[in-house]
Amino acid sequence: MYTELLHALPNVLGFSNFAAVVIGVIAGIVVGAMPGLSATMAISVLVPFTFGLDPLVALGLMAGIYNGAMYGGAIPSVLLRIPGTPAAVATTFDGYPMAQRGEGGYALQVAVVSSSIGGIASAFALMLLAPPLSKVTLLFGPSEVFWVAVFGLCSIIFLLGGNPVKGLLSACFGVFVSVVGADPIYGSDRYTFGFLELLDGISIVILLVGLYALPPVIDLLEVPLKTDTDTNRLGTEPIWRTLPRMMRFWKTWLRSAAIGIWIGILPGAGGSMAAFMSYNEARRSSKNPDDWGKGEPEGVAASETANNADTASALIPALTLGIPGTAVAAVMLGGLLVHGLQPGPMLFRNNPDVVFGFMWQFLFGAILLVLLGGSLATNSFARLLNLPRPLLGAVIIVLMLIGVYSINGRMFDVYLMLGFGAIGYLMDKLKFPLPPVVLGLILGGFAEENLRLALRIGRGDWSVLFANTVSQVLVLLTLAVIVGPIIKRRFFKKDEARG
Amino acid sequence: MSKLFNKAALVGAIIMAAGAAHAEYPEKPISVIVGYSAGGGTDVMARTTAPFIEKYLGEGTSIVVKNMPGASGQIGITEVANSDPDGYTLGTFNLPGMMARTLDREADYDRDSFTYLGNVVNDPNVIVTAKNSGLDTVDKLIAAAQENPAAITVGMSSLGGDDHFMLIKLQNATDTEFTIVPFPGSAPARTALMGGHVAMGILNISEVANFQDELNVLGVALEERSEFAPELPTLAEQGLNIVNGSMRGIVAPKGLPEDIEAQLTAAFDQLADDQEFIDAMKATANPVQVVTGDDFKALTDELYDLAAEVWETSPWN
Amino acid sequence: MSASDKNRLYRPETLTALGIIVVAAGLLVPTAALQPISALLPAAMLIGLIGLSVALLVRDQRKAGAGDIPEQVTTAPKRVLLAFLLIFGYALCVDFIGFYVSTAAVVPLVAYVFGYRNPLGLAIATVIVLVSIYTIFDLGMSREFPVGRLWKN
Repeated sequence: MYTELLHALPNVLGFSNFAAVVIGVIAGIVVGAMPGLSATMAISVLVPFTFGLDPLVALGLMAGIYNGAMYGGAIPSVLLRIPGTPAAVATTFDGYPMAQRGEGGYALQVAVVSSSIGGIASAFALMLLAPPLSKVTLLFGPSEVFWVAVFGLCSIIFLLGGNPVKGLLSACFGVFVSVVGADPIYGSDRYTFGFLELLDGISIVILLVGLYALPPVIDLLEVPLKTDTDTNRLGTEPIWRTLPRMMRFWKTWLRSAAIGIWIGILPGAGGSMAAFMSYNEARRSSKNPDDWGKGEPEGVAASETANNADTASALIPALTLGIPGTAVAAVMLGGLLVHGLQPGPMLFRNNPDVVFGFMWQFLFGAILLVLLGGSLATNSFARLLNLPRPLLGAVIIVLMLIGVYSINGRMFDVYLMLGFGAIGYLMDKLKFPLPPVVLGLILGGFAEENLRLALRIGRGDWSVLFANTVSQVLVLLTLAVIVGPIIKRRFFKKDEARG
Repeated sequence: MSKLFNKAALVGAIIMAAGAAHAEYPEKPISVIVGYSAGGGTDVMARTTAPFIEKYLGEGTSIVVKNMPGASGQIGITEVANSDPDGYTLGTFNLPGMMARTLDREADYDRDSFTYLGNVVNDPNVIVTAKNSGLDTVDKLIAAAQENPAAITVGMSSLGGDDHFMLIKLQNATDTEFTIVPFPGSAPARTALMGGHVAMGILNISEVANFQDELNVLGVALEERSEFAPELPTLAEQGLNIVNGSMRGIVAPKGLPEDIEAQLTAAFDQLADDQEFIDAMKATANPVQVVTGDDFKALTDELYDLAAEVWETSPWN
Repeated sequence: MSASDKNRLYRPETLTALGIIVVAAGLLVPTAALQPISALLPAAMLIGLIGLSVALLVRDQRKAGAGDIPEQVTTAPKRVLLAFLLIFGYALCVDFIGFYVSTAAVVPLVAYVFGYRNPLGLAIATVIVLVSIYTIFDLGMSREFPVGRLWKN
């Protein structure tokens, strides 16, 4: 296998194949950085277009876009508090406070370096460990995946914000939105109100653009035009000077990369869950957890490493088993089929040059990220954001419409997005936290579907959920996450009382 | 000015008359509406078929594939049913799904809403079992199912699809009962089988061809061995006469002018013997079986009746 | 009902809580038609929403009883309303009149209404937006945007 890997390398370095990756990364950063446009949308627009292209050119574009967009999403997250992609939600937690403090440039540098590290780790996992990791995927049947989803849902506890009642209301709302559509088992309608457009459920992109992009746009327009635009808000230092400072994140990089790769090989949950989970784990093991959410660069590092670390690894189950690990990988699977690349063990035997070439392209895409996404890209975007506020607002409105319309090519989704926007505006103003809604939507329906599949397999017997070791381990982990902090607090209080 | 206008009008009238006489179809691009997103099996079928139909319709023909994904193809096919029957809007049509949807939910179309041009793909069902189940022959499977009704879990894609009808046929033919586990698609079902989380699976031949070493493939629900994967035995060889599969074809709205219908049907007829086409389809996991015109309509009727019968006796939602 | 009692009801959080309770209760009705296992999750979430809203309501009313004055939702309600109207209007125009025409109108309109009035800047921005969208999506990817339902028939 490793000789085939080396054999595929020269082909990838051919001009057009390599240029495709470069163009893809740049396009990905731009798409990710545009509020309203997402990687899923960009690749789904690209797929029909790639029919006429050489396979490695098409796949190089996709690999580049995926890597680029996962970092590009951090740019508006940091500068505007609008996550450019669903996976960048956790980047807003600390990235935006940093920007407000005048450290936006540093935040973006942390983001680009972390993204690149995550992407490289993920590419290596795909290149070297795809067959054994796909065996791990096989261990996770419906009941195991259900517990992974529950584990993810538990991290909502840490996202509730200052007012737990409001946080839980947000979470319930998110989970409720996830049940809209066809019932996962029977296919009967739930809350579709006769709209066929709702039958497949509400896309995370529609919800995210509505909730996260519309309120800041309204804010941009709400405040009367300020004459002074703060040009030097970013405070950029050259990256070689800031790089040594970042070295202290090495533990977070390692942990987040591992989490990202692991979430990537599990089908269904994808980028945002990886970012949330790695953010929580990094905070739990931090010495100063109270600084998190107030502009701790390590938070940006955790989120950005993880959301790039699941890019290539999401392709492991996609290529070997035909089940994509993220929504973007699902669209890419279509792009592979277009070129006659059918997933399965035979794929590696029948088309080694293309498949291993594709893996190299992921690696190069991740490396190129630092070069292309560095100061040049971030500075030009920062300048864009210095546009007069009403103009910036108007442009973002147009981008939101394009991004949402292009997913399925229908106006219905745009109206739905605007509805969520109105809700999001009220939630924002009344200080309801938004992250629980996102996590609830992603994991609620996912947990339900797997629970019900597991119950079907157990023929209605709930004990099937605890039937094997993997499930039991996951249950214990979940309990540890919930109970751990409570015990910790108890002990701390006792210590304080004694002291 | 007015002279010029008159002249232009006259020339225009002559051109139009000539056009009507020669029936120069197609004189503008033909759209094919696909009810799924780009890169799906049906989309790839449409995009692979398009250049061949262009070739057979004659020089200058251009076909544009338009994706209108959503609601398992229902949004796209409804759009086709409501389009003008002028030969410039066609659409992909999946069986038995499109007919089953007229039963299990309200649909704005029925089987008489279309002009049936050509079915292109027949992806026969396959019975597979997990390696760890020990059920490596059809006889063992049936014996186990008869001994212990509903004990065997069957992974497949959603209810009301070809997999589901296949299982119903199997249950009726062998007087057995299985526990259905409807996964959100064939790939997750296949993965659960490989992991041994379900014992048996009903998939399609294109979905197991690349996974023959990872699963026990018991038999294909086809009269004769499929050209797509001739190494796989049929169920009929093993004494089980069950034929079932998933079909993908192309239809037009009802009321298509007869000459256009004839022209299009003739183009689809030519696909059957085009080896280049069959190879291109095989590369994208689409086993070819061309059925055109009235035969396609009869096929649809047959599958509708089957779905209606199942829906009558055991509705799935 | 005295004026202060009325004020207690017009607090933003109180109104939100009441709104959620009414909507969630309304959405509970259709769960009756679903199979029990299918209704489980939505019903649980709706009941959760109602329960939590009651908690929110009680807490907010206690605060009101203690003489707390709620934060204002917006400092400029008229501008906010106008912004929403413009955005919804834009979506409707795209749907009925067509994407490019509506976009050509709405970019300068929104910017102008909300205070950016440099004609040259407006013109340049509008042209850049339209041209780049057209090149990337229409020429590059042959993606179509709505042409307007009004002209279709």
